[in-house]
Amino acid sequence: MFETKQYIESLLHENNINVLSIRQKLFEEYVNDEFNIEAVKLIKEKQKIMMDKWLLKNKIEDILAKQIIIPNATVGKPYQAILDFNQPDLQDISGFEFENLTQYGLNFDSELKIIEGNPSQSGDFKVKMKFSVLGEEENTEPHEKWLSLVINANPKSLWKNIASDEGKDEDWKANNFWKADNVSDFQPIGDKHIVVASKRGRSHANVGSFRDDDFGFKHYEDNGWSVVCVADGAGSAKLARQGSKIACDAVIEYFTANLNDENLTAFDELLLDHHHKKGEDTQKKISHFVYNNLSKAAFYAHHKIEEFATKAESSLKDFHSTLIFALFKKYDFGYAILTFGVGDCPIGLLNKDLTNIKLMNWLDVGEFGGGTRFITMPEIFNSDKFSTRFGFTLIEDFSYLMLMTDGIYDAKFVVEANLEKLEKWKDFVEDLQGDNEDKVAVSLDASNNEIANQLSTWMDFWSSGNHDDRTLAIIF
Amino acid sequence: MRRLPVYFLIDTSGSMYGEPIQALNNALSGMINTLRADAQALDSLWLSMVTFDREVKEIVSLTELASFQLPEITCPQSGPTHTGQALEMLYEKVQADVIKGNPNQKGDWKPLLFLFTDGKPSDLQLYREMIPKIKSLNFGAIVGCAAGHSANDALLKELTPDVVHLDTADSSTLKQFFKWVSETIEQGNKSQGTGESVALPPPPNEITVVI
Repeated sequence: MFETKQYIESLLHENNINVLSIRQKLFEEYVNDEFNIEAVKLIKEKQKIMMDKWLLKNKIEDILAKQIIIPNATVGKPYQAILDFNQPDLQDISGFEFENLTQYGLNFDSELKIIEGNPSQSGDFKVKMKFSVLGEEENTEPHEKWLSLVINANPKSLWKNIASDEGKDEDWKANNFWKADNVSDFQPIGDKHIVVASKRGRSHANVGSFRDDDFGFKHYEDNGWSVVCVADGAGSAKLARQGSKIACDAVIEYFTANLNDENLTAFDELLLDHHHKKGEDTQKKISHFVYNNLSKAAFYAHHKIEEFATKAESSLKDFHSTLIFALFKKYDFGYAILTFGVGDCPIGLLNKDLTNIKLMNWLDVGEFGGGTRFITMPEIFNSDKFSTRFGFTLIEDFSYLMLMTDGIYDAKFVVEANLEKLEKWKDFVEDLQGDNEDKVAVSLDASNNEIANQLSTWMDFWSSGNHDDRTLAIIF
Repeated sequence: MRRLPVYFLIDTSGSMYGEPIQALNNALSGMINTLRADAQALDSLWLSMVTFDREVKEIVSLTELASFQLPEITCPQSGPTHTGQALEMLYEKVQADVIKGNPNQKGDWKPLLFLFTDGKPSDLQLYREMIPKIKSLNFGAIVGCAAGHSANDALLKELTPDVVHLDTADSSTLKQFFKWVSETIEQGNKSQGTGESVALPPPPNEITVVI
């Protein structure tokens, strides 16, 4: 019983009691006494319990003080978070559960230590975690700790749809350059048809602001030409909606007035020569024609906006808008297609059997999102690159000629490089025909009376982060 | 998807100790809650927070709003204000974080910077060296906020034309300020001409625009 002896010896020593050598034998008997052995054993046990309890209390305090992070959840988005307790201060947790998770649509799997489920309500919540610690006596009441749980709202549910003319009268509309939030149209255009829809983006609908996009088209019966334009007013410019409208109106107005002189006959002959590979420098002469006529139309649009801005005593910048337009005409040997573009809106031409895509223009995109160029910027006309803003092609026939704003292109093509990939355009056509999340289809058939509505409905597609105005014109 | 990266540089030097830092924490938390309820923000906003006193710390690296968790911001009882060092860290972070567009990659919106201070840089030389570098990063807007009478408006003006002054750093003023910050952030994701910057919304009465 060495332990007992050692304990009693140090006890006596601490109290300055010496065991005389002549009493050594008596002391040996004393430490072997049954009562003393039991007593020392008991004391040691109690001491150990006291120490353990103190350590335990510290562990619990550590756990209570430790920041435990539950990753944020989002309503409607399946949630799964593994709680990692394999870290200092938390390793001593022997068991835990959460008390009030189910009201948020979540459950706790204590075996896998996972919180999972379908979050049902949004907010900044506190959830109660009950936990036990290794070394605790059984039946000890579990400890409680409150943890933060952020559940984001479903982003789709946050978007409001406030009409831009809510509670406003006609005078207000006229004074504020109001335009309808949502328009669509379907018409024959030459021997083709055009379906077009323009829809206010969610970012505008959310705050009741205006649609900044616009479009226009016209077929000139007497000379066989057709023109289609699409413009996207800059989100940062306060009168951009009017800028895009003037731009489209001006282009149509320009060609109405200027597509009727003899120079058109000369162009018809030039194209014929070009087609039959007759004559000299036909390509160059065509380029000249395209440049001369389309640049005047573009400049006319610029000029019209400038004129309006001056009259309205506003800055030209307030009317910032991109502008793309295509002019086309059917000949015996095919279609001539002429284009102009400034800004970040593409014009794509798909051949008859969908085996080739021709991107008719390049896009003004910068290093940063939203940085582009506008028809309202005088410098574009003096730039070296101005002459590259024009496109021309002769094509036997085409399936679709499409003009769209970045509200469509950002969501469906994502990056510029994809605009030159045939596969992406084929996917886009299939998407239009119903191969999409909501199974919304546009039946691209001239006998379809519902076609304009279908395109407009298709345009409601959800694309995270892409909530700009959307305009798409399809000539087919 | 286009992200709108927003950077906060927050002065946690000794003078912020006590009530001001408490008020700041509350105001930031209010701002985050406001932004969380904004559809556009929830879809595109990414936030980063750097605090500076004697030490410069990135307390939250660039994180999307949906996953963002605001930590409790603390500050020492005394010590210098290393604004220059904070700009130095910011310069590195922005270069590493912000995605620039090219034909195969969608670029971020221009980043925004909010610098909140209640004093003046203790490392003035470094601060001035960093100014042209920060400007070269092409922020959509840099907003300098000087809070309280010891804050130096003129030095902030060297960094950005957009400086606002708060007379006090009390709870209600800070709340107003950060409400305005969230409105400014909501302006950040609109298309604009190449080289143009973000237009700031009109500030509330508690905030004086330093001209």
